[in-house]
Amino acid sequence: MRPARRARRAHPGDDDLEAEIRGHLALSIKERIERGEDPESARRAALKEFGNVTLTRDSMRAVWRYRWLDAAEALGRDVRFAVRSLLHAKSLAATVIVTLALGIGANAAIFSVVRGVLLRPLVNRDEDRLIYVRQSAPGLGAENTSFSVPEVSDFKSRAATISAFGDFSTVEFTMTGLGGEPRSVRAGVVNGSFFDVMGLRPVLGRLLNAQDDGPKAAGVAVLTQHFWTTALNRDPLVVGRTIRLGPRTATVVGVLEPSVPYPADTEIIANIVTSPHHLGATMVTSRIHRMTELFGRLAPGTSFEAARAELIAVHAAMMHEHPEAYPENAHVQLTVTRLRDQIAAPARTILLLLLAAAAVVFVIACSNVANLILARSVRRESELAVRAALGAGDGALRRTLLAESLVLCGAGAVLGIALSGPFVAVVSRYAARFSVRALEVTLDSSVLWVGAGLAIAAAVLLAYVPRLPSTQSPAGLGLTSGGIRITPSTNRRLRMFATTQIAFSFVLLAGAGTLLATLVSLQMVRTGFDMRQVLAFDVPMSATGFASVQGIDFTEAMRRISALPEVVSVSAGMTVPWRDAGAMPRFQFAVEGYTPADGEGNPYARFRVVAPRFFAVLGVPIVAGREFTDDDRAGREPVVIVSHSVAQRLFPNGDALNRKLWWTDSLASLFGKSVPSRIVGIAADVDDENVVPVPSMAVYVPTRQMGAAERLFVRSSGNPYSLVPAVTRVIHEMSPDQAVERAATLEDVRAQVLSPERLNAFVFSGFAGIALLIAVVGVGGVLAFSVSGRTREFGVRLAVGASPAHLLARVLAEGVFIAAIGIAAGAAGGYALSRLAVRFVENTRLPGGLPVAGAAAVLIAAAVVASLTPAARASRVDVVQALRSE
Amino acid sequence: MAKDAERDRLELLQGTLDMLILRTLQWGPQHGHGIGQAIRTQSDGLLKVETGSLYPALHRLEKRGWLKSEWDVSEANQRAKYYKLTAAGKAQLSREQDRWSQLVNAIGRIMNPASAGPGNTGGKD
Repeated sequence: MRPARRARRAHPGDDDLEAEIRGHLALSIKERIERGEDPESARRAALKEFGNVTLTRDSMRAVWRYRWLDAAEALGRDVRFAVRSLLHAKSLAATVIVTLALGIGANAAIFSVVRGVLLRPLVNRDEDRLIYVRQSAPGLGAENTSFSVPEVSDFKSRAATISAFGDFSTVEFTMTGLGGEPRSVRAGVVNGSFFDVMGLRPVLGRLLNAQDDGPKAAGVAVLTQHFWTTALNRDPLVVGRTIRLGPRTATVVGVLEPSVPYPADTEIIANIVTSPHHLGATMVTSRIHRMTELFGRLAPGTSFEAARAELIAVHAAMMHEHPEAYPENAHVQLTVTRLRDQIAAPARTILLLLLAAAAVVFVIACSNVANLILARSVRRESELAVRAALGAGDGALRRTLLAESLVLCGAGAVLGIALSGPFVAVVSRYAARFSVRALEVTLDSSVLWVGAGLAIAAAVLLAYVPRLPSTQSPAGLGLTSGGIRITPSTNRRLRMFATTQIAFSFVLLAGAGTLLATLVSLQMVRTGFDMRQVLAFDVPMSATGFASVQGIDFTEAMRRISALPEVVSVSAGMTVPWRDAGAMPRFQFAVEGYTPADGEGNPYARFRVVAPRFFAVLGVPIVAGREFTDDDRAGREPVVIVSHSVAQRLFPNGDALNRKLWWTDSLASLFGKSVPSRIVGIAADVDDENVVPVPSMAVYVPTRQMGAAERLFVRSSGNPYSLVPAVTRVIHEMSPDQAVERAATLEDVRAQVLSPERLNAFVFSGFAGIALLIAVVGVGGVLAFSVSGRTREFGVRLAVGASPAHLLARVLAEGVFIAAIGIAAGAAGGYALSRLAVRFVENTRLPGGLPVAGAAAVLIAAAVVASLTPAARASRVDVVQALRSE
Repeated sequence: MAKDAERDRLELLQGTLDMLILRTLQWGPQHGHGIGQAIRTQSDGLLKVETGSLYPALHRLEKRGWLKSEWDVSEANQRAKYYKLTAAGKAQLSREQDRWSQLVNAIGRIMNPASAGPGNTGGKD
């Protein structure tokens, strides 16, 4: 029975308490007997003196009970009470719960995407020591020039801060051997240390290693997880099978674990020997033949900053030693980033903006809910006054309110978390446009934490919004009068919350309006192409497109396709407008009779390879001279067509035709020998890189004299897409192994390129729509409440001769006034947001005040709509009823 | 006689019971019955502590760490729980004593303004 020393201050057992009481009684009886009382009366007296034994024992036990248990019990009581009392206000509860659910769900979903894309580490081993090196030439508008083999070997031999480099280049192979039709696959071609540098593991078989390097190794390939899962249904027997990649073969040796596909989402990753191009002399020796991406692993003990400094120094030395490969005006530069940051960077701005938008929606939702709760608490002021009069302290009343808001917010959080599932799916698909990592985002426990956190924050906030019956104010008022009284301070608060909602809604609406206006202007822009009737196909050569590699005979293919029904005309080229933007470079050129101004180099122009009838098929007018014909082929006079900008800029007098033009850029030699060619035509300016056209310097060369065709353009007189099977069949008749892919009209190509903008506008409009909805409910609720509290005032006004129309106008004006104040407050914020929007919608000028004015108009209109019902109610007040009601 | 004692008995001032218990235990460990008796005898029978208040108070003080309890056998050969002052309890006692004399002083000034000139009592200000 003796309690252990350690547990001395712990709860004494019931036996212990009993024994203590018995001891007391025994001592008391003994004392009385010693004083001379007889045992029986002594016992009775002692018991009488002691009083209620059970009560005493209970209060002794109560001392030891944990206080939070009492509190929890009280809170449980309050929660039950809250649920009961909310059941009497179902529509209010439902509004509050749905509003909170929208706010919480949107935030939880966006937070989990942000966490997945920006915060979570990559699966790669020691991913914080993994770096990505990029060479760019801002002077040429090239964001990523990648590296040539000599450049890569320079880095490998000179950089001491990097323990190993991995290189990766993307090629297209036509693959056969895994069942199905021949198809073109995107493949990564890597060196032996690539997987070790990346720190990735196989899920099946092995990855590539140093033995797979060099021209003597056997061809081997690793499948990516995605390809293995989607195309091969996770077939475990795939390891060991032989596939044909264009002219070479390779053995599948393993499957890669799920990982972020970077720099390119490829289906297989093979060693260098599988790509004849990688073994060719151009690839190995030319410093300007750049197609390799470079990764590195920091050497042990080296800091990221030290490695970056060293790599930039090595690069500077390279540029100094080989000035011919780094033209002055190209401004070639090197950037070194952690791989994780590199992958996340494009999504950062948009995700943070989304997070901000979600936070704004949450603030709007909270202030709306605060309004509803405040209104409710004013209605129940008399109830609270009764409870206070019966002895409930401030704490107990707050606890009642807290329990109620906990119930509401808890329900809101549960619904919000349920909603966040679909939200995450939508947002991650959306964010995948900017960062591949978004694809692997799944709903995880962070949603729960964020949801619960927001709900608790909201609950505490809401519990402190209502005013408690003050001890100073005469309690009798609340107790006696059945009606509601809105004090000026409550009214101020209600209006303040409504104004907050309008202000934040305005910010979102103005932002969404700006994006919508941008999108509309992008879609309205005249591109100069005839986009509806022209179908573009990718007909890629196996391996990269250089003159040395032979594809199908395009002249013959075009002849056969033009014989198909509904085909108006056919042409070919090297790039599809917008879809292949950035694939073809700008080169320097010279024209006889044109001398660059002092200190200026030769002009640059886009290098475009097109087949005969290209301009006719794509609907681009020839301003002067002629279009390419079938006679412009090898062995005939070399000819070119220039864009209107080239002719205008170089020869303002209009005498550009028939002059000789030649490429001075060393890179142009990759596409064939450049000889002086006569300018035979001038084509209208079209911009095939930017969705918003800018005047573009372009020089077109005929496919049969320079470069090669890889894209097919077919003009149809009917529905263009109905031609796809026939065109594919024609090409397969010529070469069964030739891939024919990505058929789309130019209109759809452009729409696809615009889809991120469309999605931006869509998502922000969604947020703005939610905000607007909540704000309308908010303003309407405030006015309805204010009207219901002023029944008597309206009655008096009507009695002394005010017209109902006058009252209606007054209430409407109040709503408009709230909206106007909110708009004014939000205007500054809207301006800031539109400044941010410039950062991620490129090539766009901000469409002035139109969206801002539009947002304001929408909000004013919404305020009028929201005020209509309460205003109508005010004008229909029954005078007699109103005056009698007190 | 007994009736008179009942009539003359004083109601214990709220909040003073804890102080009285701590003070009583200053003389050494004691069980609940003994504490009640001690308060009664030392106040010449004017103060009587109800057991219904005394025992919960003892447990409350023990829970706050001002008292320690141990089972022992009393002089009357009866097993009883003995309470003992802890160091924290001693500190608490001196705090309460200070507070108490301030209170008495303050009330004394109001009730007997004539005799309560400045500085005539030991109360701290």
